Amino acid sequence: MNTDRLPMRIIVIEDDPLLAEGLVNVLNRAGHAVDHAATGARAEAALKSTEYDVVVLDLGLPDRDGLELLRELRARRSHASVLVLTARDAVEDRVRGLDLGANDYMTKPFSVAEFEARIRALLRRSAVPEAQLESGTLAMDLSAKRARVGGRPIELTSREWSMLELFLTRAGHVLSKDRISEHLLACDEHLSANAIEVHISRLRAKIEPEGARLRTVRGFGYLWDGAND
Amino acid sequence: MTSAPRARQSIRRRLVLFLVTMLLLLVGAAAVITYFVAVRAANDAYDRSLLDPALDLQQNLRMVDGAPHLDLPPKAQEALMYDQADEVVFQIRAPDGTVIAGVSDLPAAAELTHGQHRFYDVDYREQNLRVAALLNAQNVLVQVGETRHKRNRLVGEILVAELVPTLLVAFVSIALAWAGIAHGLAPLARVRTELLGRSPHDLRPIPNDAAPVEIAPVVDAFNRLLSRLSEANALQQRFLANAAHQLRTPLAGLQMHLELQLRREQAPEVRAELERLHKATLRTGHMTKQLLALAKAESTSDAEAAVQPVDLYQCAEAAAQHWVPVAIARRIDLGFALEHATVQGDPSLLTELLDNLIDNALRYTPEGGAVTVQCGMRQSMPFVAVEDTGPGIPASERDRVFERFHRVAGTTSEGTGLGLAIVREIADRHGARVGIESPRNGQGTCVVVLFGAIAEAKHAG
Repeated sequence: MNTDRLPMRIIVIEDDPLLAEGLVNVLNRAGHAVDHAATGARAEAALKSTEYDVVVLDLGLPDRDGLELLRELRARRSHASVLVLTARDAVEDRVRGLDLGANDYMTKPFSVAEFEARIRALLRRSAVPEAQLESGTLAMDLSAKRARVGGRPIELTSREWSMLELFLTRAGHVLSKDRISEHLLACDEHLSANAIEVHISRLRAKIEPEGARLRTVRGFGYLWDGAND
Repeated sequence: MTSAPRARQSIRRRLVLFLVTMLLLLVGAAAVITYFVAVRAANDAYDRSLLDPALDLQQNLRMVDGAPHLDLPPKAQEALMYDQADEVVFQIRAPDGTVIAGVSDLPAAAELTHGQHRFYDVDYREQNLRVAALLNAQNVLVQVGETRHKRNRLVGEILVAELVPTLLVAFVSIALAWAGIAHGLAPLARVRTELLGRSPHDLRPIPNDAAPVEIAPVVDAFNRLLSRLSEANALQQRFLANAAHQLRTPLAGLQMHLELQLRREQAPEVRAELERLHKATLRTGHMTKQLLALAKAESTSDAEAAVQPVDLYQCAEAAAQHWVPVAIARRIDLGFALEHATVQGDPSLLTELLDNLIDNALRYTPEGGAVTVQCGMRQSMPFVAVEDTGPGIPASERDRVFERFHRVAGTTSEGTGLGLAIVREIADRHGARVGIESPRNGQGTCVVVLFGAIAEAKHAG
């Protein structure tokens, strides 16, 4: 998956050489400019001299607590997105990290695909709000209010439009019917679970013949993951 | 307690036994002393009246031809010797020792000087006699003896009057001691209740403010032990955190490089080898996570566990985010049937419990199967259950699957054998019971965690 965006400046702060090399490798291939710091001291110097778009931060550095670096970064009002890597999975660590301004959090070990997905999500967040939403074969032009599946335009009602917008902005997330109902409530009256099912089935009738699949999570809700099978 | 090889020593019994022995010795000594005092008092009371008939007899003595003669008619003698309670006898001996009146077989009193009287005890015709003896100026000996009936009765009365209250005081003392010791030992009972009511993870010190001086050192010693245990626990936690870091970081590097290599063009045999290595790495990573989860569930003390109301519905909803994509990748239909149900617990441990239930079900369910996560209320108790359409667990294996590293024979999935052990450990921490049921349609497994089931059973019993 390549993102057709401007190259981003990313720093990987990780002391393990094997993992650091892998992370740098993955990010380089995606076309980003990547720096690496193996110690807290070097990371601090790099963070002070360069404005990064994304910081990949390991909490267990040999010389400093990663959370301390995060605190300093936020104290300098840096707008960099921070992805915390940790070998611990204590909830308190996670909460502390997010409280201190981390944007996301991954527990080691993790797959390359998951890492790439998280980085993409962070880059989306740090980018200027987009006029175009794309996922799989679906594309939505938010300013022109036009949607296309596999390049062919489709007509959507306003409810279908706002549902599809929710699915695409939250691609890869399971959305409960409650959550969908809450989203629609913002622009419409409250919808029952049954009404949501009706709208979903109409939406599906419009997008699925073109190969875009909206998955049902039985007894729960729906998932758009951009897959075509 | 019941299986003690020897009867256990009881402080209360030992104290009371000691007290009973001492009191009995004291009462015995008091009885002996009282007896001698009573005998003396009885003699003092009755000797005076024993001397009177002796003096009467002496006054009725007349000297005829230098020999003493009792000038008293037999009727008068009888009247003189009459007593309601005792037999009374007399004897008069001439200076030469011959008996001139009265009974002949009463031995003569010794060591008497003229005009003197004395009292003494003597055995006479198999009875004990109290005798008053008088020697007049003419060396005539007058003796009056009586049996000891009324004296004995008085001694008895004095003994009863003295000893009954003493015995009463003794018994009351024992009873008070018995009750008092129980009262005195009450702080020990409180310490016991406090300790019995604790979970094995509660290492807070025992409150020591109210403990009396005798028990305070024991409680202090116990608290020192608890604090050492607590430190050891904290040390273990730090060790775990370090071990996690040490293991997981290289594993992350290994996994990342294998995945990057798998993305490249590879010769088929190299690819197959890389895939095997990748699988083994994933499994090692999973095993590390499971071991840490189990150790954490065990070692988290109650003080550290953040117990709060947790909605199982929200736990399951959060789990859906993680597990639905995993299920899709494995082509398993992961579904939900959720109702709100609140339990008191540690949210991170409960999330771990649910993750392991779902992970386990997904691992043992073949492609095309279904896994359903349920939560809500059952028999007015909160529950979570995860049902799958996998091969199922034979009834004979259902207890053993909760053992660590136990894996159902014949299964090929790459489970660690720790998932259900973690589930049970966490369930135990929450007073919940884990059971395995067969789904209604027969095929597969349904693992049910029923919260409050243990507390309910305790109340019923």
